[in-house]
Amino acid sequence: MDKKKFIKLLFEKGRKAGFAEMEIYISSQKKQNINVYNDDVDSFENSVSEGLSFRGLYNNKKMGFSYTEKIDESTIDMLIREAMENAKVLDNDDIDIIYEGSKEYKDIVTYNKQSENVPVEEKIKYLKQIENMGQELDSRVKSITYNMINDATKSIMIANTKGLNLKYKSNLYKYELDVDIEDHEDVKSAYRYQVTNDFTKLKGQKLINDVISEAVSMLGATSIQSGIYPVIFRSDVSASILDAFASIFSADKVQKNMSLLKGKLGEQVADTKVTIVDDPFMKDGAFTRPFDAEGVATKYKKIIKKGILTTYFHNLKTANKDNVQPTGNAYKTSFNTAVDIAPTNMYIEIGKKSYDELIQSTKKGLLIIDVQGLHSGLNPISGDFSVSAYGYEIIDGKITRPVNQITIAGNYIELLMNIEDIGNDLEFILPHNGYVGSPSIKVKSLSVAGQ
Amino acid sequence: MLSKSLIEDVLTAAVSTGGDFAEIFAEDKNNTNLTLVGGKLEKSVSGKIYGIGIRIFKGFNYLYAYTNNLSRDNLIKVAKEAASTIKGVKKDIILNFNKGIINNIHPIEIMPDSISKMQKVDLMKTAYEAAKSYDSLISQVKVQYLDEIQNVLIANTEGRLVEDKRIRTRILINSVAAKDNVMQTGLHFPGAQKGYEFFNEINVKDYAEDSARMAKTMLMAEYCPSGRMPVIINNGFGGVLFHESCGHGLEATRVAKNTSVFSHMLDQEIASQLVTAIDDGTIPNQWGSCNIDDEGNNTRKNILIENGILKNYMIDKFNGRRMNMEPTGSGRRESYKYAPTSRMTNTYIASGKSTIDDIIANTEYGLFAKYLGGGSVNPSTGEFNFAVREGYIVKNGKINRPVRGATLIGTGMEVLEKIDMVGDNVDFSQGICGSISGGVPVNVGQPTLRVSEMTVGGRDGER
Repeated sequence: MDKKKFIKLLFEKGRKAGFAEMEIYISSQKKQNINVYNDDVDSFENSVSEGLSFRGLYNNKKMGFSYTEKIDESTIDMLIREAMENAKVLDNDDIDIIYEGSKEYKDIVTYNKQSENVPVEEKIKYLKQIENMGQELDSRVKSITYNMINDATKSIMIANTKGLNLKYKSNLYKYELDVDIEDHEDVKSAYRYQVTNDFTKLKGQKLINDVISEAVSMLGATSIQSGIYPVIFRSDVSASILDAFASIFSADKVQKNMSLLKGKLGEQVADTKVTIVDDPFMKDGAFTRPFDAEGVATKYKKIIKKGILTTYFHNLKTANKDNVQPTGNAYKTSFNTAVDIAPTNMYIEIGKKSYDELIQSTKKGLLIIDVQGLHSGLNPISGDFSVSAYGYEIIDGKITRPVNQITIAGNYIELLMNIEDIGNDLEFILPHNGYVGSPSIKVKSLSVAGQ
Repeated sequence: MLSKSLIEDVLTAAVSTGGDFAEIFAEDKNNTNLTLVGGKLEKSVSGKIYGIGIRIFKGFNYLYAYTNNLSRDNLIKVAKEAASTIKGVKKDIILNFNKGIINNIHPIEIMPDSISKMQKVDLMKTAYEAAKSYDSLISQVKVQYLDEIQNVLIANTEGRLVEDKRIRTRILINSVAAKDNVMQTGLHFPGAQKGYEFFNEINVKDYAEDSARMAKTMLMAEYCPSGRMPVIINNGFGGVLFHESCGHGLEATRVAKNTSVFSHMLDQEIASQLVTAIDDGTIPNQWGSCNIDDEGNNTRKNILIENGILKNYMIDKFNGRRMNMEPTGSGRRESYKYAPTSRMTNTYIASGKSTIDDIIANTEYGLFAKYLGGGSVNPSTGEFNFAVREGYIVKNGKINRPVRGATLIGTGMEVLEKIDMVGDNVDFSQGICGSISGGVPVNVGQPTLRVSEMTVGGRDGER
């Protein structure tokens, strides 16, 4: 069924059923995923999919919500009925808003047409080349389990009865490499990735070199004496931890007493060296976008400025509650989830020292290159974390040996207050609920459990 | 969902370029998801997931395509496009479907869509009230209610054609206790492959009160000391440790490519003789059960480890080819958006002979992990990590004091060898396991057991 006709009919029927204002959100995706293993295409996935969600103010009060992946006339009644029933049970005090639109939307580039049309053969050739390179690099390479290019083109459309009609299209390449190394029954693995919207910018050669040398460097790793150590978090590790704690900046979590940053606006929550930016206009950013999930224009902001918390992330509802302007951070994980809050492209601003200089400036300490269990070993409500980790021991400014089977534990706010140095090597991790980056950071002391 | 002739035409198109096997997975699923925070219903979301996945094999390669446009023209187009990347010669196939009859072992009494949303909200409010009124230290309670009705149709070029309906219900209760800027949480999340009758069978209030008790206990607890010590892991959700540290390594996804620590270990002793581990997708009405897996095969009871000896892996059809082994009814996926792969169902360590009291009484000093949190594992090395949601120090054979912030780390192999006491109280707990074919409902389970030595990470330095 023609989309325009579908929407028109949906809004007509909705109005008759008692919805005063209504909105639809459509997400369409085209995805391709290729994995090369043993010089052959191991898996190849292709998909086109679309999902629609409907929301509306029922009896002019509560916002009913429903969704479908079956978009034809037969689902219109279901969408209205479910949204109506969902609206009836809501009893929160929030004021729900269907948005009439921002004054201005920034004209930004989120789509790279050339990259969408790279022939399959070219991607396969590229992957095979990198795999061959990897196998020749080191005889201890046991398996290159994932050598995968994933690219997706996505369109988002929002239209409502207040006249809003917005659309943008974006695309993104993800390149992932996962390698196992074996030396005398000692198996070590490493995983690296790259995100870009330009196929020609993929750096497979560098990635395969990095991932293999990282796995090799961990051979023979052992634990370390438990104690308090100065710790350097490599850029991607620091970014992963910031990402895992991103919800503390959500005004919704603050308003519900579920963020440790409640009541901290204008206060110092990190060392004065720390500035955290949310930049929806960043070039080649995975979350670069002109408007958020409610159609509010996105904007550049510093959420922590020289250690001072300056704002939370807001959507329309939380902004209305706090009597502030929305920050353009309304977010939906998927078309079928209700509106939540997330960063766009969020990162810790770089400092002056290089990665090597951070290591050289450490007399005795640890360099952490991976942490595991961030989804379970940290508590975004209390800020406490205790996660397993691995990396290297540093003595007199030099990496001396690989270290594994340790856990590091602390509190994220204490960690941010405790930052001694920030590197100049900004890296972003794989995007999910936001695209989060950080330079390497050095923390004065952290509790490490090992032997 | 699809007519026989359309299925035939799609499968024929899928193998038109030399593919040696093709499969259709069609899905029509209705979800309801309600969230109550601070006693008020915050979110009420419902709708339909709908689409079809087409999978084609050629030797050790597979192609997967999906779409949610189920019109005849589009499905044939998608199948042909997927097939076009295979450069082979068309083989003649004759499709002769025998529609498989499914023996439903998961009877449903009350369809969740026959219950009003208001009644579901009342249930959530009962849970909220019970947790909130438990203690003045309980600062926040979040309750989530989920139900789903999933209709699937699976057909393949081997003539298999089956349909099934899967109904699941679940409630999650998360209590937060707070004092002087410190917050701790307590959590319960019972679920089943049952209709709404599930909530008449369990006592939601008890779960709610216990989540509040857990949060308060952890709020009042000191930080856990760190170091190597014996660890007693309680029954039920404690089984997540086996799930992560060993279960994933026994999935064909890893074993087939020789990237699991358990590859090539069949019939070898990999665990203490006290350990027998089972993956059983056939337990009636359990959260991780299915009549058929997502490749259309009947689920089975698979003995993975028997008295310490590795007996079998969990095998899906595609990886079974590389391993030259039969599938074990373990092919699962979150939805039509994922190609299936080998996954766990209800995975547990079988009961032994000790009682929980014996185990504690026989421990001079150690950690009792009453409830574990989540964790993760690197299947190449077997290294895992787990958060302890509710922990206690055991001293001189008695529970001494609660401790918080503990993490368990180690390798699967090491833990399996060091299990030195196994209790008689096997129990299950529910989870959603995330892996390459998405999030699937699984049960973890075990009796209370003791690992003679493990690394415990905590903030309180060494004891």
